[in-house]
Amino acid sequence: MKKRGKIKVAFFDFTGCEGCQLNKLNLENQLLDILEHVDIVEFREAMDDKAEFYDIAFVEGSISTPECVNRINDIRRRSKVLVAIGACATNGGINSLKNIHDIDEVRETVYREHKYLFPTLPAMPLHAIVKVDYKIYGCPMTQEEFLKVFKSLVMGKKPQQPDYAVCVECKLKENECLLQRGIFCLGPVTRAGCGARCPSFGQSCIGCRGFVSNINQNASIEVLKRYGYSVEEAVKRMNMFNVTEMKM
Amino acid sequence: MDKKKLSLVQFKRVRLNEKQLRNFTGFLKTKGRVYAPHRKGEKSFSFQEVDDPSKVVFNYPRTILPLKKFFQPPIETLLEFTINDNSYELPDIDNKNKIFFGVHSYDMQGVLRLDYVFSRGEPEYNYLKRRENSTFIGISFEPDEYHFSGSVGIDVENTEGFSIFIDIVDEDNYVVFACDNTGEELLKEYGIKDFESGEYKLKEREFKAKLKYHYGRLPQIFEKCYNYDVWKKVSERCLGCGNCNLVCPTCYCFDVEDDVDLKIEMGSRTRRWDSCMLNEFAMVAGGENFRKELYQRTRHRLHRKFKYITDHYGYPFCVGCGRCSQYCPADINMVEVVNDLIKEHEEREKVYV
Repeated sequence: MKKRGKIKVAFFDFTGCEGCQLNKLNLENQLLDILEHVDIVEFREAMDDKAEFYDIAFVEGSISTPECVNRINDIRRRSKVLVAIGACATNGGINSLKNIHDIDEVRETVYREHKYLFPTLPAMPLHAIVKVDYKIYGCPMTQEEFLKVFKSLVMGKKPQQPDYAVCVECKLKENECLLQRGIFCLGPVTRAGCGARCPSFGQSCIGCRGFVSNINQNASIEVLKRYGYSVEEAVKRMNMFNVTEMKM
Repeated sequence: MDKKKLSLVQFKRVRLNEKQLRNFTGFLKTKGRVYAPHRKGEKSFSFQEVDDPSKVVFNYPRTILPLKKFFQPPIETLLEFTINDNSYELPDIDNKNKIFFGVHSYDMQGVLRLDYVFSRGEPEYNYLKRRENSTFIGISFEPDEYHFSGSVGIDVENTEGFSIFIDIVDEDNYVVFACDNTGEELLKEYGIKDFESGEYKLKEREFKAKLKYHYGRLPQIFEKCYNYDVWKKVSERCLGCGNCNLVCPTCYCFDVEDDVDLKIEMGSRTRRWDSCMLNEFAMVAGGENFRKELYQRTRHRLHRKFKYITDHYGYPFCVGCGRCSQYCPADINMVEVVNDLIKEHEEREKVYV
């Protein structure tokens, strides 16, 4: 833990719905405790102040314009530790669905005759442009995980985060397997950490936390085929949150 | 092989109908907490504490999780600490009377194998403490397409570890055997006065899934199979999700984690089940990973079941429950994998003879 002075923390947002930023403001009671250890120096959603330097920068949203590239490089330069928060920042998220279409067609559809006024790039996660120290996955990221990582960083310790499938958390809860009930589920390939929240309520896992690292993509498509989904359907469903991680 | 089946004959027995057996389950609640199979969702079963004896399921293929969840909980607090004075407290471990009703023979064997590993070397205090004062009541089952406990030396009617064993004759006809004094006392206290003894003819039960070799011959295959093609072939289909480890009655690996409160004053150390099929299981400080590839992890898992501990325990550390096969989303089947290994072994041996 830092002895002299409080840790300077800043929040930034790029292309996204700002849900990950906003759900931090809902941490009212918990935030008061952690504010004993940190100063929030920049947070557009909550204050006007600006700062030159940040011990920790939490960044939401994906990179999707040339201007974003400049700004994220600038933030990186000013930050000691940079944490990507939420699906858009960690793997491009839903924004990346545009990447499977021709970029000019996308601009045409959105901006019509003004398309030349709005330069655009394929939607990218932060790590495609700058070094990212830690990632908090999910759409939106969960408050529990945010606090867990935040605490670890304040203590100067590497946060312990799962790199295993949602199936693990589902089995620890002894949930009946959705796939075996004939319900679509991306649990076997999706990174855990949500406590298998959706499957525990009988809802399918849609992969919002991104894939576990080193996924066996062919095998995962085979599994979905085995449960009655076509290759097109399987790829479509995996694409929703994972375009930038798909190998096809 | 038939010795264990014959052993049932030596026990006193009594015939109960369904209503009587449910009454008996209710009576057990006066003796401690009772856990029994309950329906969990549309197609699954789970050991749960008995609240209403009419909800207990007698005839079921297998539960999602084995009994290990009661002795080594999926997530448990190991200690609670205070940062300022560097002190800690251990939580109380519950060792009150527990009765496990309706346990299949392979699950009982799973518990006995965990007893073996947790009581050797540095004894596992939390497990052994929870394991105290446990009574097990067994029940027979009809092997489905996934059970292969017969191939690893565990008959349906294996009574080792049980105080009482129940043979399901049909829906309204249960033969209850008193396997030890505890069991006999329980039945007497329930009100059974007259026991039968002597000849008892067991139903013929056939296992549909079978290992090609007797389990005693498997070590000679595992001696040589380290570089067989089977590992890579299997892992082409594997997702590495860890389901197989988590539902296994003889897997007990865990990961430990510390967490602190937001004031950064107090914290707790917890442990949760881990799985050798997962990405980071074999990762050490500095990021080196000793089993990065899925095929290495699959190979390790099966060696762990049929070779490493088997070498000093004498029996496979697989009890043939079939959970890993049933809960594998990729439909990887333990019996098929071992039989493929046997096949590759036979082919390779032929070449070198």
